[in-house]
Amino acid sequence: MDAVSDPTVETIELEITAALASLREAFLPRFRAAATAQALRDENAKILGKKGELTAILKLLGKAPPEGRKAIGEKVNALKQEVESGFESCLSNLRLREREAELSAPPFDLTLPARVPAQVGHKHPISIVREEVVAVFRQLGFAVFDGPEVEHEGNNFTALGFPPDHPATDMQDSFWTQSNHVLRTHTSNIQVRAMKSIAPPMAFIAPGTVYRRDDDATHSPMFHQIEAFLVDKDVTLAHLKGVLAEFAERLFGPGTPVRLRPSYFPFVEPGAEVDIGCVFCKQPNGTRAGCSLCKHTGFIEVLGCGMIHPVVFENCGIDPEVFSGFALGMGLERLAMLRYGVPNIKLMFDNDPRFLAQF
Amino acid sequence: MKASYRWLRELVPQLTASTTDLAARLTSAGLEVEGLIEFGLASEACLVVRVVSCRPHPTKSGLRLVTVDRGGSQQEVVCGAPNVPDLGGLVVLAPLGVYLPAKNVTIAKRAIAGVESEGMLCSEDELGLGDDHDGILVLAPDCATPGTTLAAAVPAARDTVFEINLTPNRPDGLGHIGLAREIAALYNFPFVLPDFATAGGMERAPSALSVRDLVTIVVEDAERCPHYGAAAVVDIAVTASPSTRYRLQALGVRSISNVVDVTNLVMLAWGHPLHAFDLDRVRGNTIVVRRANDGEKLTTLDGVTRELVSDDLLICDGQGPVALAGVMGGASSEIHEGTKRVLFEVACFDPRGVRRTARRHGLHTESSHRFERGVDPGDVESVLDHAVGLTVALAGGQPAAGRIHVQHAHSCAVPAPPAKRILTLRVARLRALLGVDVPFDEAIPILERLGCSVVAKSSISCDVLVPTHRPDLTREVDLIEEVLRVRGLDSVPAQLPAIRASRDVGGREELARRAREIAVSVGLSEAITYGFTSARALEAVGAPKPTVLLRNPLGEHHAVMRTSLLPGLLDAVAHARRHFERDVREFTIGQVFLAAAPSGDGLPTEQLRIGVVLAGDRPGWLEKPQPLDVWDAKGYAVGLTERLAGASALVQVEPATRDELTEIASHLHPRGAAFVHVNGRRIGAFGLLHPDAVAALALDGDVLVVELTLESFAEGIPIPQYAAIPRFPASTRDVALLVRDAVMAGEVESAVRAAAGPLAERVRLFDRFTGGHVAAGFASLAFRVVYRASSGTLTDAEVDAAHANVVKVVGERFGAKLR
Ligand SMILES: [Zn+2]
Repeated sequence: MDAVSDPTVETIELEITAALASLREAFLPRFRAAATAQALRDENAKILGKKGELTAILKLLGKAPPEGRKAIGEKVNALKQEVESGFESCLSNLRLREREAELSAPPFDLTLPARVPAQVGHKHPISIVREEVVAVFRQLGFAVFDGPEVEHEGNNFTALGFPPDHPATDMQDSFWTQSNHVLRTHTSNIQVRAMKSIAPPMAFIAPGTVYRRDDDATHSPMFHQIEAFLVDKDVTLAHLKGVLAEFAERLFGPGTPVRLRPSYFPFVEPGAEVDIGCVFCKQPNGTRAGCSLCKHTGFIEVLGCGMIHPVVFENCGIDPEVFSGFALGMGLERLAMLRYGVPNIKLMFDNDPRFLAQF
Repeated sequence: MKASYRWLRELVPQLTASTTDLAARLTSAGLEVEGLIEFGLASEACLVVRVVSCRPHPTKSGLRLVTVDRGGSQQEVVCGAPNVPDLGGLVVLAPLGVYLPAKNVTIAKRAIAGVESEGMLCSEDELGLGDDHDGILVLAPDCATPGTTLAAAVPAARDTVFEINLTPNRPDGLGHIGLAREIAALYNFPFVLPDFATAGGMERAPSALSVRDLVTIVVEDAERCPHYGAAAVVDIAVTASPSTRYRLQALGVRSISNVVDVTNLVMLAWGHPLHAFDLDRVRGNTIVVRRANDGEKLTTLDGVTRELVSDDLLICDGQGPVALAGVMGGASSEIHEGTKRVLFEVACFDPRGVRRTARRHGLHTESSHRFERGVDPGDVESVLDHAVGLTVALAGGQPAAGRIHVQHAHSCAVPAPPAKRILTLRVARLRALLGVDVPFDEAIPILERLGCSVVAKSSISCDVLVPTHRPDLTREVDLIEEVLRVRGLDSVPAQLPAIRASRDVGGREELARRAREIAVSVGLSEAITYGFTSARALEAVGAPKPTVLLRNPLGEHHAVMRTSLLPGLLDAVAHARRHFERDVREFTIGQVFLAAAPSGDGLPTEQLRIGVVLAGDRPGWLEKPQPLDVWDAKGYAVGLTERLAGASALVQVEPATRDELTEIASHLHPRGAAFVHVNGRRIGAFGLLHPDAVAALALDGDVLVVELTLESFAEGIPIPQYAAIPRFPASTRDVALLVRDAVMAGEVESAVRAAAGPLAERVRLFDRFTGGHVAAGFASLAFRVVYRASSGTLTDAEVDAAHANVVKVVGERFGAKLR
């Protein structure tokens, strides 16, 4: 060490004290002047960094005689802590201000279109109703029985007791194939198929496509039905009414009234048509006010039903003295049109994207 | 069936129920009343008035000022009709303020050519009583005193008509007598058949002539005509028939003449059609009931000359056919103004035969409608009595003595009553079927009211004799239904059964539901398409030739059952485009109909498929719309398949080869056609529709299509098995390779995957770039390879070594250069 340039302890002490004093004066205003966190950090680095001002002061300490170092060192450290806490408090102030500014900046333009995670399509209204009806009957204990759309005349007509050349077949004008098969005119062919292949008891539903030779404002040559039938010992008309009431409540809501009117289908006896309380003019108290859709009767016709005709059992090899059963069937187009207020059956089969997107 | 309330009340005098109550009761018993028509409503407010004086209108020729006596007061009305009767004649006045529903007008005070008129003299047309509007209605002299309402003066001018939608099992409801019997049963009134034989004129001494002297009847086909009854009336005068006019008009039948009206009224009474012949036009005085010869001709009343076949049953005279039995008469023997002698035919024809003839000739008449459903074989004599009695009452003359009945080919004067059916009804069966006790004390009276009679009875069963007018009652269960109908369905409680559950048979519903769910979740909307299409459309989409051809299609466009779902979906695209909707992303799920399996039941093989059409722009966010392309089609095809097949299945896409393009994918664009394979088995194809198909189906623009069979997914997806989640970090390396443009990215990717070795967890192409600084004829393919080991963290050296192999191998194989 150079003795000539070797400062006295006092000089160094004084120098350090002066430097510390001036830094103590200056650091807070400098911190406060920083407008951003980065500027604050830069300023902090100018003081505490490797080449920072306090670091430089610390280096002076090495020149101080050992006996004074401790006291000076404590002063330096004290200031260092002051700077550090000043930095932290300025930083947190700054962050607070930034957060305020961010929160109060103009809002995002939420009128921009949404970014859809994945486009979701739409089920056909007939399918929606079909799935619901199937679900309701599944809950009641029915299972699905599949069958073909191109069918033997026997399964579609003869076994169901349709007399040949009888006006009953007018109700179901049919398409015939060149191989003398029929496009099934109803899903009742499944009754025959099930009863010919399975021994009772059985509880099945048969949803499916059917065809009739009708094409006008209210008929489509292809449409959809769901048939439900139960065959067991001691099945009665009261059971049919019970299932209908349960079905109506589950599909159309609690308290939906059900009304049966005698009617005729060759394969049931007694046969009935079923009306349910109009869904369009239902009042909050559960009564019906009457509207144009129910022709002011408060009821709309939704399905046909009856006790399975003994001749059908006989044709399928089941003894009607031992077993009885009921069958009911409904058109899905009608249910869907009623539910969604679709005025024209043709709309169901145009498959216009703007139609499908509504359901 | 139209039924007259007035007529029904004549037949059931105790009936007091209002029209709406009666309608509700009939409906609840299965005779559904679809509507009520108020006939001649204006008759209640319009008055019968007497013409007192008449003078010409001061200024307007053709108009007259008629002063009428309305019973105590007089008024003058302006009238333009040409037929104002002489003084003292009775006409009908619509006074001021009266509403005429037929014309939807309310009579107001108004000036006609300068003269005020406070009312109007009405025509039948204006009163809603008919379509005669040539002149005002002139009533029979002295039929009423002036000032009475028209409804009071002419009761038939006011009626309520029930429109009943009869089910085909109830032919008895096609006549007022049958309906009256039903109503009496429903309301528990006695029902007594009126004695038509003595009603009106039958007291008149019969002619010395016997009907057997007038005509000979031969029935050659007794099976098709088990009973032919005939009666004649001679010396009649055919005239207009004001007394039957309104009853028929109310029921939708035009009044023709007294004798023709008789046939219609008697048919509407009994539901049993009858035919009237002019006996002087029956050549050879002979009626022959026989089958037609093939090619024989008959001109029916509608003026159409029909060529007959041997299944048609004919009524012939001595020279040839005069009527199509039970369906329609011929022109030659029609009743006309000069008819002096009428022969009535009341027959029973085989319902099935009448139906076949009616359908064959495209005819559906009041007569065929009733015969098809079955007339009462027991009422022939009564119907003849009624017809003869009414004829004598309306047209004068004398009944020829006796009747002719040919029953089962045997001629007799008095028909044998037809055999009646006896059914056994068990009281236990009532309970077993209905779920409610119905004692015999209640059930038997109901059946008796309907015309049944009990011939034997014990405490548990009874034997019921079924009347001939109820051909639908053939089994015990039919009697049970009758009891239920009359008792009301409301009388049965609702009770939930304990259902012994079944299991699904066939899995198509569930499979379709699952496919539908998946398709909707990827953004497709569901179309429901017809099962039938045209052979031409199937050919245009390269589908197999149809094997199910319809014998009676609605048109060529729906003549065959589809072998592909695409025609129906493409119809939807065409429809949307015609309606300016370009974006179509739809699927359909349904059967296609393929050749029958050789070992099967002869029915076509029905195969469940899903089809997809894509047209228009890809959905995007804040970017310029981009048209959907083959890679979108691939995305839907693969996406649907992967979700249908489950994660463990191997789903591959194979571009179509040249042979495949001509053989099974001719509908697809040769540059954009591929097949989807699941575990090595082809399940369908996708691609851009061939421009020829676009043109053939007039689709007006590109369409992408996908069609997949679903049956291989019927079992559902295999249950996925858990694989351990990686515990160690992965290392990622990118590599950009410059390859010839024609090199398929998929091949390069497979090569990268193979070369990267077992450490490569994932290989993904993330950029394909051409142009710019990439030389023409080349493309830059950038892959990201993710390396990971399950045993520990990979070192840089391990990863670098694996990746170096990628660069080397792919370079060698494709001449790919590293970019
Ligand atoms: Zn309503």
